[in-house]
Amino acid sequence: MSISSRIRMQAIRSVAPEAEGAAGSTANAKLGSHSTGVADSGRWSTRRIAMYALFVALAMVTSFIEFPITPVAWLKYDPSGIVCLIAGFAYGPSAAIIVSVLGFVPHMFADPWGSLMAVLVALCLSVPASLIYRKIRSRKGAALGILAGAVLAIVAALLGNLVITPIYAHMSYAAVAAMILPILLPFNLAKMAIHAVVTFLIYKPISNLLAKQQ
Amino acid sequence: MSTMPDSPQQSTTPAAELSHIRFSYDHGSTWALDDVSLTVYAGERLCLVGPNGSGKSTLARLIAGLTAPDSGAITLLGHTVYTSSAGPNAAEYRAARRGIGMVFQNPEDQIVTTVVEDDVAFGPENLGLERSHIGERIEASLTAVGLASHRASDPTRMSGGQQQRAAIAGMLAMNPAILVLDEPTAMLDETARAEVMTVLDRLQARGTTIVHVTHHADETLHADRIVHMEQGRIIEIANPHDAPCPEPGVVQTVVPVGTSDSVTGGNLPLLGDQALDSEPAGTHASAAIRVEHLQYRYGSGRTVIQNLSFHVMQGETLAIMGANGSGKSTLAKLLCALGKPTGGSIEVSGVPVSQVTRAGKLRGANREQLMQLRSRVGYVMQHPEHQLFADTVADDVAYGPRNQKLDEAQVQTRVGDALKALHIEHLANRSPFDLSGGQQRLVAIAGVVACQPKVLIMDEPTASLDMRAKARIHELIRTLQRQGVTIVMITHDRAEAFALADRVTCMPDEHETVRETSVDTNGSSKPVRNHSYVGRLDPRMKMVGFLAAMFTMFAVNTPAQLILGAAVTFGIITAAGIHPIRLFSAIHPILALLALMSLTNLIVVRTGSTLVSLGPLSITSDGVMIAVLYACRFALVIILGAVFLQTTTPTAMTDAFESLLHPLQRLGMHTQEIALVMSLALRFIPTLTGETKSIIDAQAARGGSVETGSLGQRVKAMSAIIVPVFAGTLRHADNLSLALDARCYEEGITRTHWRVFSPGPADALFAVIIIAYIAAIVML
Repeated sequence: MSISSRIRMQAIRSVAPEAEGAAGSTANAKLGSHSTGVADSGRWSTRRIAMYALFVALAMVTSFIEFPITPVAWLKYDPSGIVCLIAGFAYGPSAAIIVSVLGFVPHMFADPWGSLMAVLVALCLSVPASLIYRKIRSRKGAALGILAGAVLAIVAALLGNLVITPIYAHMSYAAVAAMILPILLPFNLAKMAIHAVVTFLIYKPISNLLAKQQ
Repeated sequence: MSTMPDSPQQSTTPAAELSHIRFSYDHGSTWALDDVSLTVYAGERLCLVGPNGSGKSTLARLIAGLTAPDSGAITLLGHTVYTSSAGPNAAEYRAARRGIGMVFQNPEDQIVTTVVEDDVAFGPENLGLERSHIGERIEASLTAVGLASHRASDPTRMSGGQQQRAAIAGMLAMNPAILVLDEPTAMLDETARAEVMTVLDRLQARGTTIVHVTHHADETLHADRIVHMEQGRIIEIANPHDAPCPEPGVVQTVVPVGTSDSVTGGNLPLLGDQALDSEPAGTHASAAIRVEHLQYRYGSGRTVIQNLSFHVMQGETLAIMGANGSGKSTLAKLLCALGKPTGGSIEVSGVPVSQVTRAGKLRGANREQLMQLRSRVGYVMQHPEHQLFADTVADDVAYGPRNQKLDEAQVQTRVGDALKALHIEHLANRSPFDLSGGQQRLVAIAGVVACQPKVLIMDEPTASLDMRAKARIHELIRTLQRQGVTIVMITHDRAEAFALADRVTCMPDEHETVRETSVDTNGSSKPVRNHSYVGRLDPRMKMVGFLAAMFTMFAVNTPAQLILGAAVTFGIITAAGIHPIRLFSAIHPILALLALMSLTNLIVVRTGSTLVSLGPLSITSDGVMIAVLYACRFALVIILGAVFLQTTTPTAMTDAFESLLHPLQRLGMHTQEIALVMSLALRFIPTLTGETKSIIDAQAARGGSVETGSLGQRVKAMSAIIVPVFAGTLRHADNLSLALDARCYEEGITRTHWRVFSPGPADALFAVIIIAYIAAIVML
């Protein structure tokens, strides 16, 4: 088995453990690989590049779909975190890092501090989630991963707000800290809850789709 | 080896030899190719025809060297790339691929960047050609496809035909001996199809070996040989000069394609030329659709529908033909209340979708009317298979009826009837994602028919289907006609239109005069190149400089600093030659945020003398000062960002990004690959955005709503959107990875660069200005 197909197998296994039996059985291992051995010789096959690119594009697109989910108008929800989570589950922590970082580059020139913070939160959410899922490849592992990621992401978001809010509004750290319980924490809890529920719901159909890609 | 008598260019030298090929997608349960042997001779033009799923595309990919078979032997351009005993030989594949180009069905998925010449240069760069040669290749290949004047255009904004020609140019630039094309015209209208066929004729004359997969009988006319496939086998190799061959087993209507009539819509009556007032008052047949003085303008300001009026009688079938870009799809969406017209009134099935009030204002349908419309009007979008989402076919088809709040027994009857009408009952429990493209189309259409609409709007329902699947849809349309359903059908197929419709019309083309046709017209796809001082800066310098200036702006805390910051910003705007109004339109979405920020600052700052006091709230002089200062400095940051984005192309940005990342390569980072990911991602944003919008529209037309209903329904509605969006993302990624392979991209290859950085004194000056500015802010 070439390195690339091993990686592909790992991707399949990581999202669709049930598909493993079919694809991984040694009897037919030679059949259906169809690899020419060219562009998938290294870790970055053209398929991997194409996948990363499309996931980054999707993260960029979804990061612009913003809407408030609490009465506080300036804190807005965007679904890009879901894309980061799915990328991490499907292709591992490195994919989570690439999608989380590159996905927010377009915002860099509109809101530099805000986009740095968005990157930090996305990383805290998707990287631990994909690391845990890599160890425990089941629905339970995915749930644990999302939970751990969400806790870290909320902590990061709160700390980030402490640092960044005074840049936009003339407030002391203490004043920002006073907003944590009534405003910032509820928003971030709601945000992570939506991420988690949606990711969980679309997990099965999407893992089936991924497994189908050879 | 026998000589082929009737073609002068054809030689007896084999370009590709395949013998006893077997290929399975499901580990040997079924064979996509079963013992196929074929030799393609150098210089010949070979067509591969056959129904969907017959193995044509797989065979084409094998000839292009993009995939390996399960058994057999393949020799491409003299390289033995595969034998049953040795398996694939990567080095031989690599060598063979450099001489083979492949063009795919979907023009968009083959574009890798946002400037035509950079896109064409991508292949030669991967081959490691010298820069001067790349320039010659770009010139020659763009001339060969008639796009020489579009070097600087944005391919993502070009017409489908132009995109496909650009894709061919991208292949020609690599100087291939063989060009493989997999249904290159499947997604094009007649005009664009003719453009591509002209290019193929020209290549044939030049002696390029052409392997062309097609569904169109008329496209095989110039072929030297036609290879006929069915169920994974070659059943016949025909000579087109004997008989142009239709797909066997299907009665084919004769299609006079390629004539000037079918290209332009020719002598068809224009939609809207029907005399409305001649309709006798009080007749039995009343209009199911009334459109009066309809007008629609895109966000870009381009008017696409102008003063259009027409009626469609109850039970009537209206076919609308016309060029791409003439607004047919827009009209379909407007009829389904999936867009807001800019003027005029629409009434569909008794529901006022848009009406002009007495005050002259436009009013759309209210929520209740919209509900009514959704239950009466069905909408089959272009490529409706892209909206499939559920675990089983039956569930997917049931989505619409369930949204109509029917009880479960009724839902099941509806689903059963719809599946039966399309002869796909046997698929009910399969996953829609396991089906072939043609079957998926039928399932998606069943999902709309199951809502039992009184009016059905279909946007190119049979595009890129084979004869059999087309025949099923034609049968369905006839059944619906008998049931009295009013149908509006958009199509590019003249024969189909005349066979099914009571009335065939042509969409009036409001911008016919400026529409990009074949060679030299200045279209909207031409970007305005920024040749100002800022526009010409080395993008690396520009990126670092702007980001530094932007972050420094947040350190502005006194009026003096603010004045300096503003002065530098205005200096940069002037040096960038950007009109302030254009700049304002770029930043105006953020103004609300600025206002909110100011308000917050007004309230939270308690120091300084009190100016106004309202109960617990008070506004102080410091508050006003801070509010103004913070808003201004943030505005300056956004303005700088907007100037950067408007003066830098995405290509320049990703080049700069790669160059700046380059030192990290030593740390084992794949900088070249990351930059490519970034560049491809930016290029795919418009594609994914457009697709997401059409999926949201299509599901809304089936009554799915994220905004209303119980939590369960909303979540269901959301996954009906998210799952197809992910499916689309994966589909594009699949196509794109093949397109990258076809352009000989590999990890870690030594690429050459068509664009080179040449920093000069202007860049040094810019660096000095930025450093001086930062220093001044620190000192003040």
